[in-house]
Amino acid sequence: MTDDNILSFAGVSFTYRGDWLQRVHALKQVDLRVPRGSAFGFLGANGAGKSTSIKLVMGLLHGHQGDIRLFGQPLGDHRLRARLGYLPEHPYFYDNLAVGEYLAYMARLSGMSADAVPAAIDRVCELLDLSELKHRMLGSFSKGMRQRFGLAQAIIHQPDLLVLDEPFSGLDPLWRARFREVMALERKRGATLCFSTHILSDVEDLCDYYGVIDHGVVLEQGKLEDLVKQAPLVLTGSGPMPTEAMANHDGTWRWQFPEAQRAASLAALPAGAQILRLERNRIGLEDYFVARVKAFHAAGKRLDHVGTP
Amino acid sequence: MIRIIAWATCREAVRSRTFLLLLAVYLLGVLMSRIVGWISATDGNIITTDVVFSLQSIMGVLVAVATGTALVHVEIQQKTLYTVLSRPLPRWQFVLGKYLGLCLALAAGQIAMLLIGLIYLLLTGAEVHQWLVVAGLLTIVEVLVMAAVSLCWTALSSPLLAAVLGLATYALGHAVHSLPGLVHHLKGWQQTIAITLASLIPDLGQFAFRNEAVYRTPLPLDDLLMRLVYGGLWCTLLVVITVAVVRRKQL
Repeated sequence: MTDDNILSFAGVSFTYRGDWLQRVHALKQVDLRVPRGSAFGFLGANGAGKSTSIKLVMGLLHGHQGDIRLFGQPLGDHRLRARLGYLPEHPYFYDNLAVGEYLAYMARLSGMSADAVPAAIDRVCELLDLSELKHRMLGSFSKGMRQRFGLAQAIIHQPDLLVLDEPFSGLDPLWRARFREVMALERKRGATLCFSTHILSDVEDLCDYYGVIDHGVVLEQGKLEDLVKQAPLVLTGSGPMPTEAMANHDGTWRWQFPEAQRAASLAALPAGAQILRLERNRIGLEDYFVARVKAFHAAGKRLDHVGTP
Repeated sequence: MIRIIAWATCREAVRSRTFLLLLAVYLLGVLMSRIVGWISATDGNIITTDVVFSLQSIMGVLVAVATGTALVHVEIQQKTLYTVLSRPLPRWQFVLGKYLGLCLALAAGQIAMLLIGLIYLLLTGAEVHQWLVVAGLLTIVEVLVMAAVSLCWTALSSPLLAAVLGLATYALGHAVHSLPGLVHHLKGWQQTIAITLASLIPDLGQFAFRNEAVYRTPLPLDDLLMRLVYGGLWCTLLVVITVAVVRRKQL
């Protein structure tokens, strides 16, 4: 199991003390697998448990129940984090350190030799257009610039697993596109990407695996390709119309049926009917996600705060 | 790792506005000290020397409390430590590196203050001798102990409360020094409680050699070494407590 997955959660629960020492179940029996070499999109609304899961992996939170494995090994050995790159949500850095200084600091903490650091700084600064800002203090950076710097410090040591918490937050459209390019480059280099977001189009564009979490429970996960396959087929035709089909204004008609009924439906076409187009109805991940979460809530599975023990 | 964190922390600290502002206030205070010397009824040079060395202690402690309290809690609030602690280092190394970095910055500031103070005293015709240097060095140790106190309080509470508690510890730390002279007024359990409570607070009077130094009172070497060891033990104890607290913190 662990050989194929760079990161896996098995029955992971995490509880913390909230206001007035109330116990809050942030994660409940989470099973999650991030396949090696994949781009994994971790979807969920605010407060769903995405950041908590990430913080557990990063060692920022501790005391979970269940098994978390990183690179096939149980979490706990801090040396494993040398192979991790992390961009926190709303990152903030030391105001009085310059871009170059901070990048060198992060590179050295990740175990890079002093000799390799200057070249690594040049590489990430070029990638994220920070070359001109190398001597500028981080305290003067805007939110978007901090985000760019955050990605730079996350990839400076060329990690095997890149964990990004809401990476597109605070970016303008141009920089969103650039981030996607950098993420694609990292993946091409061999890194596995795992990022949390509530912007579903990012997952659709970048990921091949996805997981949906809500109120600390993983609702579903899998290949994005499989999700797409669940979308019904739409047949556009002319001539005699099947009884279930709908007429279009231009005299043609369209008939929607599941993938499983493809052969039977095509065989059941009336004689003389002409097939103009057969295509898959694109599932909007957003619609799908909203529907799944709504169904989950309707089933009354919502996890709430539980009282003080 | 500890060295890397210490160096970055030192760089960050010496560039902070608080650090530079308090250094500037010290400079202004040193320049003003001569005025206090002029208006004093006794030897003006002795008063000037006393003021210069008191300023080094007060400003040093203020810098230690201000930067020390910002060290852990503000890092959590601003989440600056997320990117650091996600690297392959255990938390004890982070805390130790932070403390040593702060010590480096404070020691650099204190040495600068000591040198400025001594040069100023030379220029104004006051007597400069070895015991003033010893007093200056003991003040540096006091500031480093206060940095450990601030670090410990900030791990346990908010920055504002940590600053208040830090300054309260400074006041109590000096009050504790005069306790042995007062404790005989107490009896039985009162005496026990007073001595127990006093032992929980670092005796900062051990590092206040300023008044004696001004009057050229010598400090035996073994006494000096004992005071340095005492300071070192308190720093170690406070950093160990901070490590224990930070290790358990949920970030």
